[in-house]
Amino acid sequence: MLDELQHSQAEAQGRLMNYLTPHGKWSIHSTYSDNHRMMTLSRGDYPIWLNDKDAAELGIEDNDWVELFNDNGVFVQRCAVSARIPRGTVFVYHATERTISVPKSPLRGRRAGMNNSLTRVRLKPVLMAGGYAQFTYAFNYWGPTGVNRDTNVFVRKVEKVEF
Amino acid sequence: MKVRAHMSMLFHLDKCIGCHTCSVACKNLWTDRKGAEYMWWNNVETRPGSGYPTRWEDQEHYRGGWEFQQGYGEAHKLKLRLHGGLGGLAKLYFNTALPSLEDYYEPFTFRYGDLFSAAEGDDQPTAIPISEITGKPMAIESGPNWDDDLGGSPIYARNDPNRQSLPAGVNASLDEIERVVYNYLPRICNHCLNPACVAACPSGAIYKRAEDGIVLVNENKCRAWRMCVAACPYKKVYYNWNTGKSEKCILCFPRLETGQAPACAHSCVGRIRYMGVLLYDADRIPHAANVPDRELLGEFLDTILDPFDPGVIAAARANGVDDDWIAAAQRSPVYRFVKVWQIALPLHLEYRTMAMMFYIPPLSPVMSTVEGGFNRLALADQVQDFDLLDDLDAARLPIQYLASLFSVGDEAVIRRILAKMYAVRLYMRRKTGDATDPATLQALAKAGTTPEEAEAIYKLTTLPHLHERFVLPPYHREMAVETWKDPLAHKGEAGFGAIQPPARGD
Repeated sequence: MLDELQHSQAEAQGRLMNYLTPHGKWSIHSTYSDNHRMMTLSRGDYPIWLNDKDAAELGIEDNDWVELFNDNGVFVQRCAVSARIPRGTVFVYHATERTISVPKSPLRGRRAGMNNSLTRVRLKPVLMAGGYAQFTYAFNYWGPTGVNRDTNVFVRKVEKVEF
Repeated sequence: MKVRAHMSMLFHLDKCIGCHTCSVACKNLWTDRKGAEYMWWNNVETRPGSGYPTRWEDQEHYRGGWEFQQGYGEAHKLKLRLHGGLGGLAKLYFNTALPSLEDYYEPFTFRYGDLFSAAEGDDQPTAIPISEITGKPMAIESGPNWDDDLGGSPIYARNDPNRQSLPAGVNASLDEIERVVYNYLPRICNHCLNPACVAACPSGAIYKRAEDGIVLVNENKCRAWRMCVAACPYKKVYYNWNTGKSEKCILCFPRLETGQAPACAHSCVGRIRYMGVLLYDADRIPHAANVPDRELLGEFLDTILDPFDPGVIAAARANGVDDDWIAAAQRSPVYRFVKVWQIALPLHLEYRTMAMMFYIPPLSPVMSTVEGGFNRLALADQVQDFDLLDDLDAARLPIQYLASLFSVGDEAVIRRILAKMYAVRLYMRRKTGDATDPATLQALAKAGTTPEEAEAIYKLTTLPHLHERFVLPPYHREMAVETWKDPLAHKGEAGFGAIQPPARGD
């Protein structure tokens, strides 16, 4: 579990938090996540949800740009600070694509990723059996993937956002 | 007694899932136009929260609704909080109480063209946010539902104006992780009986239809004073910056006139909305709006009349209310919830506009704390669900908060309603065949209801057919036409001519 933090630990300062990607309220995975009505009725894009006390300690205010990073990737988005998030946890609702309002990552210099950039698939026999997902092609086939979405990331504030 | 009919909507807040399908339906149908991008005639708010526009309930700031002035003149005269008499003239060209776009939000979109036309580079392009009004790049900092699901709760939920009346301990609990709670509050124009918007318009461009009580803006008469926008305490009149006219929820009267429920009601996923006719006594309105706060609810409920009473029926007929409408009033689900079972209330009666859209306050989970890794309910160890009837304060949503929204601060009203709803739930869980245990029957009686009423409430809440939920009478447009024109001439001329769209200076 912690082997996806080894490189990042040395890279920059950030608060280690548990990262979860629950199903989005305004989309079905990425479908309709870029729907203008849904974006207007939320924050313009799925925000990074932080606990209010954690945010205060990190000097982060509501709607600030925040960077999440680990060895797998990096994600930059504005945040929603809320008392309803448990401490030590960060939520990013799944899923948006990398086309709309995605800034450059201050840490790594390139365009930041989307919420799955921080996760990874760990191949195991169960994923190889059954002919699912990556082993299957059929018209309009939607298969399960083995992404482990309960992982850990470092959280820090972005001082100046650059597109 | 001048009996009129009113189209009313009821929202069952226990069922609202906050999906905003209603908002999208209304937006797609009516406000998807230039100048109307920021308008949400139907919006859904997370509560506790600041609402849309921000903190609209703060009438000290926005000056909406009516003020009750004790002992003023010959009777307690109602006065618009916005202005009165000469004050109105002075403010005519410069209304400091008028909300600005910052109070709503600046509508945004994204420069999708950049994805195609960006300069060649070693990294993929992105579509940056731009304003829908100016087209210039902007930072997204607000929206019509910015504090959804308690986002930004230290700012928005904390500044909910209804929290001002909460005791300190209760107020603090709303920010604690194990005690935090939220609900959704969908809102449309309340098509009030005593509308402040109608009273405030210097041109007389807003009117309330007699046949069904729908409040509408006459866009030919509107002269963009925007006094209506400031005077509405619910902030449900909006100004179209492109046409220079005010607009508001029209209760989908073109749909109602063809027997369909309003788009928001029809599209509701949670099926929380009910539509029905209410008969009311128009003569009582001046009095009912003009009593001290504690008496407002009682007087308001007395203004709504019993559609089975022969005297009321006779008076309705004498006043031109059609028999179909009287029959619809008798089958009205809104009447049952509001007057028969008395578990529904209007929003912020203290604004004295006499809102005619109703809400059933929500039940909420029991408060709990985490002790040594275990969740402990804030009730006695041996939790009997009956205990909830005696300890309604164990519920997460503070009674005082609901009272501030729905009962002019009267906690007893909310307790009575929540107790009845818990009792109905208990009864439905415990009833077995024809015999129910005495303890349950006692709990029902204590909550002021009976098994028959509990069954009826249950059926209309959970199992209504579409036509029991939306009881819409035929509008008889031909008779409305008849009052001003020969119907045959109208029939021959219908469709010819031109409608002039609203524009500045017209």
